[in-house]
Amino acid sequence: MDNSMLTIALIVIPFIAAALMAVLPSKSAPRLAYQALHMVSLVAVCVLSVYLSITVIARDKTIIALGDWIHLDALGAVFVVLIGVVGLLVGWYSLAYIKHDEDEGLLNPAQVKQYYLFFNLFIFAMLIVALSNNVIMMWVGIEITTLVTVFLVGIYNNRFSLEAAWKYIIVCTAGVAFGLYGTLLIYANGADIMADPTMAIFWTSLVPYASQFDAMLIQIAFVFIVIGFGTKAGLFPMHTWLPDAHSEAPSPISALLSGVLLKCAILVIIRFYILAVEALGPAFPQMIMLVIGIISVVVAALSVLMQDDVKRLLAYSSCENIGIIALCLGFGGPLGIAAALLHCVFHGLAKALLFCLSGNVLMKYGTRDLSKIKGILQVAPATAVLLVLGFFALAGFPPFALFVSKVLAFVAGVVAGHIVIVVIFGIAATVVIAACIRVVSRSVFNKAPETVKKGDVGIAALIPQFLMVALILWFGIAMPGALFKGVEEATAIVLQEEGPVLHNDPLLKDLLATDEDTT
Amino acid sequence: MDGFMIVNILGGLLILTSLLVILIKNPKNAAYMYGGQALVLVAILATLGFVTGSSELYTWSVTAFFTKVIIVPAIILFALNKMQAKPDDLAPRFALVTTVLLVVGEVILCYLAVSGIELPTVAELKPALAISLAHFFIGLTCIISQRNIVKQIFGYCLMENGSHVSLALLAPEAPKLVEIGIATDALFSVVIMAFLVLRIQRSLKTLDANELTKLKG
Repeated sequence: MDNSMLTIALIVIPFIAAALMAVLPSKSAPRLAYQALHMVSLVAVCVLSVYLSITVIARDKTIIALGDWIHLDALGAVFVVLIGVVGLLVGWYSLAYIKHDEDEGLLNPAQVKQYYLFFNLFIFAMLIVALSNNVIMMWVGIEITTLVTVFLVGIYNNRFSLEAAWKYIIVCTAGVAFGLYGTLLIYANGADIMADPTMAIFWTSLVPYASQFDAMLIQIAFVFIVIGFGTKAGLFPMHTWLPDAHSEAPSPISALLSGVLLKCAILVIIRFYILAVEALGPAFPQMIMLVIGIISVVVAALSVLMQDDVKRLLAYSSCENIGIIALCLGFGGPLGIAAALLHCVFHGLAKALLFCLSGNVLMKYGTRDLSKIKGILQVAPATAVLLVLGFFALAGFPPFALFVSKVLAFVAGVVAGHIVIVVIFGIAATVVIAACIRVVSRSVFNKAPETVKKGDVGIAALIPQFLMVALILWFGIAMPGALFKGVEEATAIVLQEEGPVLHNDPLLKDLLATDEDTT
Repeated sequence: MDGFMIVNILGGLLILTSLLVILIKNPKNAAYMYGGQALVLVAILATLGFVTGSSELYTWSVTAFFTKVIIVPAIILFALNKMQAKPDDLAPRFALVTTVLLVVGEVILCYLAVSGIELPTVAELKPALAISLAHFFIGLTCIISQRNIVKQIFGYCLMENGSHVSLALLAPEAPKLVEIGIATDALFSVVIMAFLVLRIQRSLKTLDANELTKLKG
């Protein structure tokens, strides 16, 4: 099979798995059947996504499939790998988590089937977003992620989860409608000036024509797109659905929503950001990203500090980190773009880890209330250690990977000359560090309540979490060459420049040269 | 009277009908009104097809007739009939005058925004384009102003209709697949929202968005 076929297979596999689950009877089919289908699908997606992405990055050549509908370039590859790897690890963790919920009577067999089925559809939808070259399909992909995850957010069928599900669907569909409107404006403009109007649907054909777009139309379109897909990404002030949906969903789903889905929405924004920069020059799009980014960072950082619910705290922290990514896009330049992309990957891993860990805590304590969660170290030592590492990583301490992306973000801001914004960003980051330390000191240490039974969650739940920590440490201490090269090529795509943009950057040139001398 | 004039007049009618969808309190009647509103949209698509000679637009008007005039209201009416207790007419969050003023304001703002666009295709259709953009915001107004979650679904539909008309105005030659993709997606969204509304009504015995505020947001 050639790479185009493999790319199509990558998208289709989780869909087939979901379809097979749909035809299995929920009562008589053993749980193992769903688990097996689920894991086979996720392993295949992970292997294919890593293989195809490495191929694209190594050859620096885009894979095209299904006419021009599907494409995998280095920019998409960064996100496809995130979907594949985090999808597998979180899916693996799900087995233990869902079994626990089933044993506790929180989920019945029909709901378990629903969980695995929609989990795979969720992966399918995100792959559509990351791999679509058709701009309308990108929007459709984002819409499908909303429609399938609504069932996952509302799966417990209680007052809170139904309320969260409603808020989620209404805010996100209305929000993403803005994204559609913006997309249609750009499409219409493209169709008007291109020799073959049918090609205006493809992102790769729009890029070369972007400089001829109508300035006013593109300004309106870009604002609509940032509002629309920014709603899905959790940017302030469209983030209101996020803390509710993320806290009410089963923890592995929160992990996937925060860790991966928000980044997929960012990818769509980046795709249009490229068009907007080509059409209008960098000033307007960067200004929009800067304003929305810094407001998101500040508001979310303060919200993180005020939360007493561990999952809401993590959800607001996701808003803060998405704000950082927007900010990096606003800073622009090779450093800013690379920081944004690296932060997508690193935050994706760290937040997936922490939401899974909040699942461990939920399994042990039966509550998300931080004032009742104390003494995790006594109750579940492995979870406690992972939690400390996770929160340190989230706070951006070395040697964790987020330290690298955050430092790069600061440097990009200074280089771009936005000193005031960098200072505000620094203060907000300090507030988040305080919040992280507060959780660790209150909940990991202290005396455990007598009612909580000692003993960690099973090894099956812990292994994927250990792997996530290992990846975050690995990327922080010695970033693999393929990841760096992928981010460099993706940065070049965003900047629409040729060559090794990071190696050519005056600030990074010497650093990367010494690095290569020693290796 | 030329075709463009008719399109612009129908655009005005579209605003009026959407406003009525927002203002009618009873969700069942609002569903019928929405059907009427969608009929105006179908007329716009058909007229545009006639004016521009685009056969794609005729096909659109046919699919829009089935999806928007018939299926969407039918789904909502079905969901309303399935509800165990007869839902009360919930008063909207905003007073009538506020809503009307908001809509007028949106139309004016959109008119100003559109006047800056210099695309040759829309030269004669700028009023209609302004209206379709405003229509999008009227949908948003519907979502924000309504307490009844069924009415909020109409808000989303109105937003979607606004995008649809804009697309028809700006890119009459758009391939069928684009239009079908958007229409199908919107239909799925409405089905899932109606399903969720039904579940909320059954579990929580309310359709009032003001009562769905246990979470802090």
